[in-house]
Amino acid sequence: MKRLTSSFVVTLLVISFIMGISLATLGAEKKVVINSYMADPAPKETLKQLVAEFEEANPDYAVTINTYPHEDYKTLIRTWLPSKKASPDIVTWFAGERANTFVDKGLMMPLDDIWGEGKSFEDYFPRAFKSISQFEGETYFLPQSWYWWGFWYRKSVFNELNLEEPITWNQFLDVCKELKENDYTPITIGSKFRWTAAGWFDYLNLRVNGADFHMKLMKGEVSYDSEKVRKVFEHWKELIDKGYFIENHSSYSWQEGAKFLFNKEAGMYLMGQFIQDVVSDEKIKEDLGFFRFPIIDASVPIAEETPTDGYMIPKNAPHPEAAKKFMHFLATRDAQWFFAKKLNRIAANKNIEPENYDPMVQKGLQMINRSDKVTQFYDRDTKPAMADKAMDQFVKFMAKPGQIDQILRSLEAERKKVFE
Amino acid sequence: MSKKRILWVGSFYLIAIVISLIWLFPLFIAGTTAFKSMSEVVQDVYWWNLPDNFTFKYFLEAWNQGGMSRYFLNSFIITVPSVIGALFFSALGGFALAKYRFKYNKLILGIFIAGNMIPFQMMMFPVFRISNLIGLYDTYLAVILFHISFQMGFCIFFLRNFIRTIPTDLLDAARVDGSSEFRIFLQIVLPLTKPALAALGILEFTWIWNDYLWGLVLLASDNLRPVTVGLVSLQGEYLSKWNIISAGSLIAAAVPLIVFLLFQRYFIQGLMMGASK
Amino acid sequence: MNKRKFAPFKFLLIPVILYAIWVIAPIFYTIFLSFTQWDGLTAPTFIGLGNYVDLLNDPTFYTALFNNIKWLFIYVLVPLPLGLVFALFFNRKLPGVKIFKTAIYLPLTLSFVVLSQIWTWIYQPKYGAINVTLKALGLGELTVAWLSNSDIVTYSLIVVGCWPQTAYTMVLFLAGLQNVPTEVMEAAKVDGANKWQRFWKVILPLLKPATIIAVAVTIIQSLRMFAIVNVMTRGGPFRSSEVLANYMYVEGFKNYSMGYASTLAVVLFLIILLFVFIYLYQIFKTEVEY
Repeated sequence: MKRLTSSFVVTLLVISFIMGISLATLGAEKKVVINSYMADPAPKETLKQLVAEFEEANPDYAVTINTYPHEDYKTLIRTWLPSKKASPDIVTWFAGERANTFVDKGLMMPLDDIWGEGKSFEDYFPRAFKSISQFEGETYFLPQSWYWWGFWYRKSVFNELNLEEPITWNQFLDVCKELKENDYTPITIGSKFRWTAAGWFDYLNLRVNGADFHMKLMKGEVSYDSEKVRKVFEHWKELIDKGYFIENHSSYSWQEGAKFLFNKEAGMYLMGQFIQDVVSDEKIKEDLGFFRFPIIDASVPIAEETPTDGYMIPKNAPHPEAAKKFMHFLATRDAQWFFAKKLNRIAANKNIEPENYDPMVQKGLQMINRSDKVTQFYDRDTKPAMADKAMDQFVKFMAKPGQIDQILRSLEAERKKVFE
Repeated sequence: MSKKRILWVGSFYLIAIVISLIWLFPLFIAGTTAFKSMSEVVQDVYWWNLPDNFTFKYFLEAWNQGGMSRYFLNSFIITVPSVIGALFFSALGGFALAKYRFKYNKLILGIFIAGNMIPFQMMMFPVFRISNLIGLYDTYLAVILFHISFQMGFCIFFLRNFIRTIPTDLLDAARVDGSSEFRIFLQIVLPLTKPALAALGILEFTWIWNDYLWGLVLLASDNLRPVTVGLVSLQGEYLSKWNIISAGSLIAAAVPLIVFLLFQRYFIQGLMMGASK
Repeated sequence: MNKRKFAPFKFLLIPVILYAIWVIAPIFYTIFLSFTQWDGLTAPTFIGLGNYVDLLNDPTFYTALFNNIKWLFIYVLVPLPLGLVFALFFNRKLPGVKIFKTAIYLPLTLSFVVLSQIWTWIYQPKYGAINVTLKALGLGELTVAWLSNSDIVTYSLIVVGCWPQTAYTMVLFLAGLQNVPTEVMEAAKVDGANKWQRFWKVILPLLKPATIIAVAVTIIQSLRMFAIVNVMTRGGPFRSSEVLANYMYVEGFKNYSMGYASTLAVVLFLIILLFVFIYLYQIFKTEVEY
């Protein structure tokens, strides 16, 4: 027993020793702590390199990155933000409603003085980004990069079957039919974590009812239980009834869903550009193409989803001045270009010429430039509680497409609960 | 050995082997996956096919790429004092509740048991705040103190029930000899509770080693985090590489397994002691 | 004598202080929050019993509650007795028996994240081990999407939980069996008691401390189940495999309704309390005074 007690004492001593050492290293003068959700290797490494570059140019600064798994990050950020002691100096976050949620509660610091002498937000970013970065007249969000959504397919499969990228809904249906007849499942999806289904709802609503109606719906201003929304589900139902979606998709994560596209079991996948991050085989990567979500009603102005990621400084940041210096660096053309190029994203900084990008990225950029409106994404545009309940209904609809009436009623009931 | 005995022992081994094989089927899959190349995993859907060649390549890759050595050290620094602390204080508390008569005895026991029933995810916010308030946030001690405290609920309940079975005469005899109460605890109660402490130690070690939530909530710095957090980032990094995820998982599970092997002997010791008398 | 009177309080001092700070205080905090509306960021607003009223009208609450009851029943009926059987069966002085015990124990060494990952592969509808085996045996019609069929998903998850839970109860019973002195067994044999009599009359009563604990933790574990559901299905598809602990987590940390989540936590806490304390009351009532 004596041994047990003494080993306990020894362990405690060892711990205090380790703690002492770690405290001693906290001495660096201008410290910046970034909490980041970029846990995938490519973005994680890129941010690390950016930090190294910044530290080289500013030797008196020490920047630490604490990386958290994506899902946990979204939970834990709410423990740090209100805390005076545990708050980081910079957090990675999402533009639009999600950023506004924190700004609204007074938890974020305005960024109006990071731009440098005589410069402003607009010297760095296109005007269009104002609506997702500025709230009540002040800038809170620093956009880093964004990506586009589209239907991804294997060029070799389309060549083999002599298929062309469809432009209209009817052409799209023909492509599905052709794929199905040739023993491909036309559309793959992994709906286990639900948001992939929300992507479908967003795009169908944008194409059927347009972006203005969609944003009203997101803000809870109009009813879900309407003919307009029903039409969205009816288009969706057509695909489900014809068996165009892959079976048992709620068993798969989005990455597992992508596998069916990579191994040529399925023909197309509605997904963001980051699908490229999970292709390990270079040959498949080159064989991937994408096209715009088909036009359903030509009279509806085209809108696209462009989820934007970036950074914010919490109100309780212990080193705001140093943080702002780093934020300035992140906004610069060079830093933005470095990040975007590495990951095939599109930089938010407006001073990067489109020709610099990879041809595929240029195609995505053109697609967005030709569109009339942009939105973020279902769970970034509406309130979290609404998004959670609605995404369940979307997945349920895909399993039980006959229950449109009930689903519309539940969605409307939830909207009333959340927004009224 | 009689014929009957041989037959009996033979059938015991046969049944035991069959049970173990069925029981370990899911691990068999994880095990073989860790040795297979990804093209084998994807193209060969039959799980009963063994890997083409046994290579520890994927174990090495998981260990190196996942930065597992650092995470391993952290897990030890957190788990060992947590288990020792929880067992020691719970044995003290369990002894007090099992062998002394005083007012509110049952009430205190009840509170310890009840505290263990809260779905602990709910405690994330308050525990984060308390750690922050005391200035322990982002230190090993924050996690260790929480583990000791929370696990005490179950441990005290467990040890109290076992210590009750120790005959009070034994304690009284020591008291007559003039031993202090704490001495009685150290010299009589603890040795007699060994099998229970071993079982509890095994379970506690496994739980605390496998904890994911608190390592994440109470630690911010990557270089302090335990192996489970490392495993989740490994899963994030190698989404489509099942072999590397399997290998990493098996490495992490090896430590609680070794602890079980080490402490298992105390299970048999009780029987042997009885037999040799 | 005075020394002896104060001894228990001295022994309990540190445990009680630690427990009060890290466990009891957070529980009271949660109870307080259950009467408020709180987003986890700004100050909570007191709304009385509002959350409790909402709870009664929430269909997902009932789904989750019903699923928890399924977990409870199956946990009590399968891993609990199976753990006892394994403990009795493997508690022998034969060479190599350690290996078998270790084999049964193995699932418990896996973290829930890993456990869930392995079973997700096994349940995978196209290439998963179960469906592949069924097809190979010519039983293709029996293949099911184990995790996306809303009628069976909960049972699929419970199977996963039973695996380590059996190992858990086995360890508890193994520890308890060390309290059964060999002489007692020999004496019973000499008295001519047959195997069943020995089990019911001798072993089971001596296993009482272990059994009390095993039953209590089985109830607690089944009702508090979180990790398997959270990792494997997140309560899906469309909430059909939801359990209270995961629902609480989603409401509180994903939907910013900490008040409502606290209400769910309090209700779940009370349900577990009810089950465990009725059970323990029955046991402790008969405890001999010492």
